[in-house]
Amino acid sequence: MAQGVVVDTMFWGARQGGVAALERELTRLRRAQSAHARELGRPLARASVLNLIVYADREEHARRAARSIADLALRHPSRAIVVLVDRGAREGVDKRIEMHCRLPIADGARLVCYEQILVRAHGDVEDRLASAVIPLLVPDLPVFLWWTGTPPLGSRSFGDLLRLTDRLVVDSADFARPELTLPIIARISEAARGRFGLTDLNWTRLTPWREIATAFFDVPSWRLFLDGITGLRVGFAVDMDGRDIHPSQALLFVGWLASRLGWRPLETLAPSEAGGLLFAIARPDGARIMVRVRPRFERGLEEGDISGIRIQATSTSELAEFVVKRQPSPRHQTATVLLNGQPRWERTMPLPSPAIVELIGEELSILGSDRTYEAALAALVELA
Amino acid sequence: MQRLLPATFSVVGTARKPMSHEEYREELHAAVAQHSRTRPLNEEVWRSFAEHLHFVATPDDAGYETLRRTLDQLDFALGTHANRLFYLATPPPAYEPIVKAIAEHRLRGQTGWARIVVEKPFGHDRESARALNEVVHTVFREDEVFRIDHYLGKETVQNILVLRFANGIFEPIWNRQYVDHVQITVAETIGVEERAGYYEQAGAMRDIVQNHLLQLLALVSMEPPAAFDDKAVRDEKVKVMRALRPIAGEDLSTNAVRGQYTRGFIEGVPVPGYREEPGVAPDSRTETYVALKSWVDNWRWEGTPFYLRTGKRLPKHSTEIAIQFRVAPHQLFSREALAGLEPNALVLRIQPDEGISLKFGAKVPVQGIRIRAVNMDFDYGASFMVDAPDAYETLILDALRGDATLFTRHDEVDEQWAFVDPIIKGWGEAPGGPALYEAGTWGPVEADNLIERDGREWRKA
Repeated sequence: MAQGVVVDTMFWGARQGGVAALERELTRLRRAQSAHARELGRPLARASVLNLIVYADREEHARRAARSIADLALRHPSRAIVVLVDRGAREGVDKRIEMHCRLPIADGARLVCYEQILVRAHGDVEDRLASAVIPLLVPDLPVFLWWTGTPPLGSRSFGDLLRLTDRLVVDSADFARPELTLPIIARISEAARGRFGLTDLNWTRLTPWREIATAFFDVPSWRLFLDGITGLRVGFAVDMDGRDIHPSQALLFVGWLASRLGWRPLETLAPSEAGGLLFAIARPDGARIMVRVRPRFERGLEEGDISGIRIQATSTSELAEFVVKRQPSPRHQTATVLLNGQPRWERTMPLPSPAIVELIGEELSILGSDRTYEAALAALVELA
Repeated sequence: MQRLLPATFSVVGTARKPMSHEEYREELHAAVAQHSRTRPLNEEVWRSFAEHLHFVATPDDAGYETLRRTLDQLDFALGTHANRLFYLATPPPAYEPIVKAIAEHRLRGQTGWARIVVEKPFGHDRESARALNEVVHTVFREDEVFRIDHYLGKETVQNILVLRFANGIFEPIWNRQYVDHVQITVAETIGVEERAGYYEQAGAMRDIVQNHLLQLLALVSMEPPAAFDDKAVRDEKVKVMRALRPIAGEDLSTNAVRGQYTRGFIEGVPVPGYREEPGVAPDSRTETYVALKSWVDNWRWEGTPFYLRTGKRLPKHSTEIAIQFRVAPHQLFSREALAGLEPNALVLRIQPDEGISLKFGAKVPVQGIRIRAVNMDFDYGASFMVDAPDAYETLILDALRGDATLFTRHDEVDEQWAFVDPIIKGWGEAPGGPALYEAGTWGPVEADNLIERDGREWRKA
């Protein structure tokens, strides 16, 4: 019999023979903790406010997710079901699903615990994966599905898990081929309308950029420029060789502006230098906007992160440039406004670079769908 | 193992098949060692218990005579005054001949009390239940008959009565004014196992709905009894069963759904479809799933539907009652803020994971108002730190003590069949068979329609 990778039971807990045994074990663990807490005079409450299913096909991703959830236990006590599936499901490998469970105590907090379950699947379990996950969900609580990697639209297990889900969380920074995957995500988003919410951690990373861009045009005398944008440049970070190109975040930014301002696609001119993109977009009044998305090597940035934006606009006879640049260390953003080439305003503000745990924590506090994101995504797919 | 039995007692096992006392004791020893709550088995305690175990084979009249002599001897030796509890753990067809044999061979004894414990199902329809009653009543008075529905022996089921009637805060809102609807779910993951012969005849309707589901419905909807004794409690249960609106004729297609499982997966393991199970007809129309929308026609519940569902090969083993309350009359929060809000629900989890949870909306800790449904959870196991006694322990002990509160009275059984019979009959006459559902799913799509038509949905149990 072909053996899969041995599961690290220190991290994932002991293997359990089925759902009933697993629930019994969790009850036993809860009881033990409860007894311990009583001795200390601090009664233990079982707290969970959500079910979180994490799908991973690499152990490393599964662990990273599990650690993030542990860090979030105070904010989002949950039942976490980490599904780890052999990607290379080969013929001849026994189809089987194992379950492990643990009840880790969050640091310094005995009042809140969360339940961590590993569902480890070997072989091709497409048809049966959901049947192992459904009985593990805590009734009545919302279900979040955090899909690490590229979601396989059309795969049965993905569809089955989606049917359980109230909110799907993906990270387009992990997409190997964003130009292919983002349209798929857009289609999922369309199909999801009214059934479940959808979000992208890359969208969450974009928040400070959207905030600063909005702040420019909150100034009444600069708002006029909003209808007169003529050019947009967005830079995103790549590594030194420029091999790995992850423009998703930058494209989402363009999609966001396009959807907010009613821009329509005109033509894709050419891939610009080294993996970038150059395209023309039409403003509602028909005028042409040149959009350039380009990779830049910047020390200290995560690949794919936006490194800077530059918006060019005209109003009456004035020419304005709105520029935001990211500065690596210490992390901050510098926003500059130039009128007819003369700097008129400058401001420096902190730019947090949230860890994955912050991002997922933010997303777990939202349940409904995010219309702004959906519109940005739809616009981006149309443009690019 | 908990020293609950009296000092002098003995257990006499009987069956058609011959067996020695020793073999009987060994068989029981193995069973207890495997299934007892208090494992490992204390051999010292077992030895003293085993001395009270005897076996008599009763293949014929001579066997029953031996049984009577054995019982008389034990009475004499132990001084038990011929107090006798007859426990019938047999298939239902055997009830009648056994009761007759008890009469013919004067097994009741001359002095002391006699009681009979009968397993469900009691009859297979109203008529046969009445006939069986008549036979039983020729030997035992009604107050000597203990019809078991083991659900009533479960701690959490009894806790329904405690929750409702020992607390001041629940009963005032336990009515049509506050309750939108009630959902009762009895979900099993197992298939028919080795019981195909019985199940083919019974189906989910007779196997679960007639007894367990209707018991849960009665406990949750009944009026407060004046006292916690067998008469007061059972009177109220019968009263509410009588108020149950029959589902027949036109109502049948709108308010009742039957289903049958096809092959699928349970916990990731492939399982066969019902018609592929050994002992099941390849064209069987037996239902393995039932969903009902029912009404309790009385002052308290007018307009509040009770949705009942049960099935085999559902994704999760779970029994629960969910009281879903009406939404707040006026919403002051924005639509975005309310995205995560769900109606308040009080859920009584019967098994597994016994407990009670209350779902309500809470503010998510962010700036601005965002509301999320959260659960306040009471977990039996973690709160009381003891295992609840097994339902049968409770019930057999109650029968020995003569407390019939948790047993089903004949008029209760009668009313249960009165509700169930027309549905089974209607299905028998209707064209087509049960709707199919894949093993490992929450039943056929028709069942979803049954509740979604009313703008509600089944809970994710």
